[in-house]
Amino acid sequence: MADKLLVVKDLKTSFFTHVGEVQAVRGVSFDLAAGEALGIVGESGSGKSVTSLSLMKLLQYPGVIKEGQILFEGNDLVGKTEKEMRKVRGNDIAMIFQDPMTSLNPVYTIGNQIIEAILEHQNVTKDQARQKAIKMLELVGIPSPESRVDNYPHEFSGGMRQRAMIAIALSCEPKLLIADEPTTALDVTIQAQILELMKDLKEKINTSIILITHDLGVVADLCSRIIVMYGGLIMEEGTANQVFYEPKHPYTMGLLKSIPKLHKKEKERLIPIDGTPPDLVKPPTGCPFYARCEYAMRICQEQIPPYFSANAGHRAMCWRMHPEAPINENYSKVSNKGVNHV
Amino acid sequence: MAEQTIKKELWEDIHKDNKDAEVISRPSMTYWQDAWRRLKKNKLSMLGLAFIFFMVLTAIVGPYIIEHDYSTQQLQLANIPPKIDIYKVDDENYFYMHAEYKLFAVTADGQLLDRIKETQNNLTDRNRVYNVGGKEVVLDYKYASMKPEENPDGIKYKILIDGVETTPFDKVQNKEFVFGTDALGRDMLARVIFGARISLLIALIATVVNFFIGVLYGGVSGYFGGQVDNIMMRIVDIINVIPLLLYVILLSVIIGSGLKSIIIALGSVYWVGMARIVRGQVLSLKEQEYVLAARTLGASSMRIMIRHLIPNAMGPIIVSMTMMIPSAIFTEAFLSFIGLGVNAPLASWGTLANDALGGLRSYPYQLFYPSLAISLTMLAFNFLGDGLRDALDPRLRK
Amino acid sequence: MGRFLVKRTLTMAVTLLVIITITFIMMHAIPGGPFTREKQLPDAVLEALNKKYHLDDPLWKQYVDYVKGVLTFNLGPSFQRAGVTVNTLIEEGFPATLKIGLAAVLVVIFVGIPLGIISALKQNKWQDGLVMFIATLGVTIPSFVMATGIIYIFSAKLNVLPSNGLTSWKHMIGPVIALSGFSLSFVARLTRSSMLEVLQQDYIRTARAKGLSNNKVIYKHALKNALIPVVTYLGPMIASLLTGSFVIEKVFAIPGMGKHFVESVGNRDYTVLMGITIFYALFLVIMVLIVDILYSVIDPRIKMED
Repeated sequence: MADKLLVVKDLKTSFFTHVGEVQAVRGVSFDLAAGEALGIVGESGSGKSVTSLSLMKLLQYPGVIKEGQILFEGNDLVGKTEKEMRKVRGNDIAMIFQDPMTSLNPVYTIGNQIIEAILEHQNVTKDQARQKAIKMLELVGIPSPESRVDNYPHEFSGGMRQRAMIAIALSCEPKLLIADEPTTALDVTIQAQILELMKDLKEKINTSIILITHDLGVVADLCSRIIVMYGGLIMEEGTANQVFYEPKHPYTMGLLKSIPKLHKKEKERLIPIDGTPPDLVKPPTGCPFYARCEYAMRICQEQIPPYFSANAGHRAMCWRMHPEAPINENYSKVSNKGVNHV
Repeated sequence: MAEQTIKKELWEDIHKDNKDAEVISRPSMTYWQDAWRRLKKNKLSMLGLAFIFFMVLTAIVGPYIIEHDYSTQQLQLANIPPKIDIYKVDDENYFYMHAEYKLFAVTADGQLLDRIKETQNNLTDRNRVYNVGGKEVVLDYKYASMKPEENPDGIKYKILIDGVETTPFDKVQNKEFVFGTDALGRDMLARVIFGARISLLIALIATVVNFFIGVLYGGVSGYFGGQVDNIMMRIVDIINVIPLLLYVILLSVIIGSGLKSIIIALGSVYWVGMARIVRGQVLSLKEQEYVLAARTLGASSMRIMIRHLIPNAMGPIIVSMTMMIPSAIFTEAFLSFIGLGVNAPLASWGTLANDALGGLRSYPYQLFYPSLAISLTMLAFNFLGDGLRDALDPRLRK
Repeated sequence: MGRFLVKRTLTMAVTLLVIITITFIMMHAIPGGPFTREKQLPDAVLEALNKKYHLDDPLWKQYVDYVKGVLTFNLGPSFQRAGVTVNTLIEEGFPATLKIGLAAVLVVIFVGIPLGIISALKQNKWQDGLVMFIATLGVTIPSFVMATGIIYIFSAKLNVLPSNGLTSWKHMIGPVIALSGFSLSFVARLTRSSMLEVLQQDYIRTARAKGLSNNKVIYKHALKNALIPVVTYLGPMIASLLTGSFVIEKVFAIPGMGKHFVESVGNRDYTVLMGITIFYALFLVIMVLIVDILYSVIDPRIKMED
């Protein structure tokens, strides 16, 4: 394995609440190379956000990383103390969140919040930090940065606030930027702008990006590889092309099918995935998607499937991929030709 | 990938309908059921509720079942504490020495019998002599006026039975007057219970009056909105500049003291808080309705929405009323303290506290019981109100 | 800022005028007038008194005169104490009241707020439980109960504190505790719940994600936001503390404004009652203005316009 920037091995995170142990992440492994953009897709409760918070060790009580390793540049973050993690956060790994209005402190200027991050990790004077803050605002495309730097968050529009958050995150040139649903709270047109910006910055600064979202459309352009999570586990992992055009996991197929398509006939119904996410306090013994899967078999209920490889770099956990599994026509059609052609 | 032989049956297809994909884990309840369930879990609130229940019960039934009356004065039995020191003369004769240097015959277990008249009252020698059960009892109180050098231990008096210095035999609970008596010889227990009646009654009626005025004012203001709302709220703002307590005091000065006056005074002022809340709720209800209309849901859905909205709105109103009651109790006590309370012979907890001030050093129990009653009742309502606030908050539905 | 001040001053003036009017109406709604209380004064004397105090003037004239008086800081004579003006009484009593009030304000701010912060940071641990327990008592036990309790325990039984007058710093302890009890507890609870709410906010998570130390997160990011609702409460609270509590002054025999107020209630001295009420209202209105200015300094989202 070439020197990967980030290697996550069998990460397990749980929340020990008074109703019991909520197993949010149940054994997740993946890696990320420098300058690469990875998309993590899943619905609410799939464990994608908890995974990202675990990477930064930003879990709030009662969340705890139970098991696993998070190797960042070869060092395991799981064993690091809080003091050591503070040197990593904002510095080597940065994170932006879903709602920029609530994620920015309303009583301090944008400039203040950028400068604060810079001064925390870099040995520069206040003036130098301020100059850098202005440059960052310019970099993320905020007009008149010299005056805007003294504005308050409420004086910015939604899209600009998210840009400001990106400016804060990138102000110390982190090697990895984790973006947790960065566009969900924004208008569609602004969404596109922000994604363009992130793509642009990735090339310019060579930051790796982990983009977390529930919206498949968002990852298509920016991410070279995609992970699909459900019920605390990775269902499928592959390149964007592989996942979009040759999905191997029924959940991925369901997600792709449920995207409304412009070219379809007018009166076609939208196709949702029936059912609700599994209970993470008492997780199912078998495949977490079993109850909602149209290709389910008895074994799916009883045993969690292992990962089967479809191609180089493309894997999925589905019993249908087992050589002894009976052929299901629909499944084969979709997995070989993609959702659009069915 | 490990190869294991997988049994043939495991490859059987399972139809979606057989699986419980949509089992929702919790049974759903109505808003009120859920609120009551949440309230029950709050131990402090339940404690408060129980106490209030007990207090109300006592107030209603109490005066009928205890032996003494709240207004009967027995001046010779004034200022007797609930716990009395008794001296033993012999197996059949015991006496209690009153702080005002009077002697009472008592039984060994605290039952008061009669006042013992002194045989001699020597004012210059500062002692009194009594005949109890055939023995001579001398109450020597010259020590109270001695200088510290002469009286290093700082005692106030000595009791000598047949010349022998005696100390109290026992400290027993006053059986006749469980809470003691006040300055006019009235039973404290009866007065505290009767005071419960008055204080709770005042608080309840005042709160109800405030509720109606507040709902009316706030409802009108919120319903009409616009300029009407603006003006009405401005008026409330101006009224609110001064602490409402001040208005109550001024009003009381004008309309005089007495039960009716206090209720009027209390009921005329605190409605502003309720009006604000009601107005806020009406405004938000209106907004929801417009949203509903815009969404063009079917009529039945609208009814369901209103079934959820109105309980939503009631929450803060109920909490507000629960918190108004201790406010009223406090205000009434406060008024009594400055002399604007109910008139004698009626007694409220406030007037009891006020009456007790004069003798605080010697007879602290007279202040203790009404203060305890006030504090515990206010505490109980506060706990209940806090619990209700959490229980009725729809955002906290689990 | 200038425009804002002018606007607010105008609102203040209107508010004060309304309050003056309300109190005036109230005072003159009493049947019979201020001199028909206890002993029956001979008619001639009554007439002379009424004339002297212009009580026989038409009502509107009395009102205008009174307002004019207020504007020139002349609150009129006391009806029950010949030769004494309301101003004198206020001047006599206010310093003592102010002294205790200021001490109470300091206690509330510098004890109440830190207690609330500690409680929030140690949520559900013993420190939180202890502080909240004491605070609940403080909010529910009426001030006069506290005052009498303090006198009983510390003066009568333990003899460590004096129980009346205001001649040494020791005299201040009892009244200050009794006066500040409620507000202290309220502020502690408010600070705690505000802090807890703020700590749940997204921007706190952002601050942590930037690698800031725990202290910075709490004292720079959280505290400023958490204090916003507390500041709102402080305005009226300070005014109410600075004008003292009548009952506490009575119980501790403090020679302050409250004592005069209570006496005036007792002997129905209307001008004194009105005068003190208006003085009080003026104070409050100014305090609220100061707090609003402070508020807009802390929270940049509030612009000082209407």
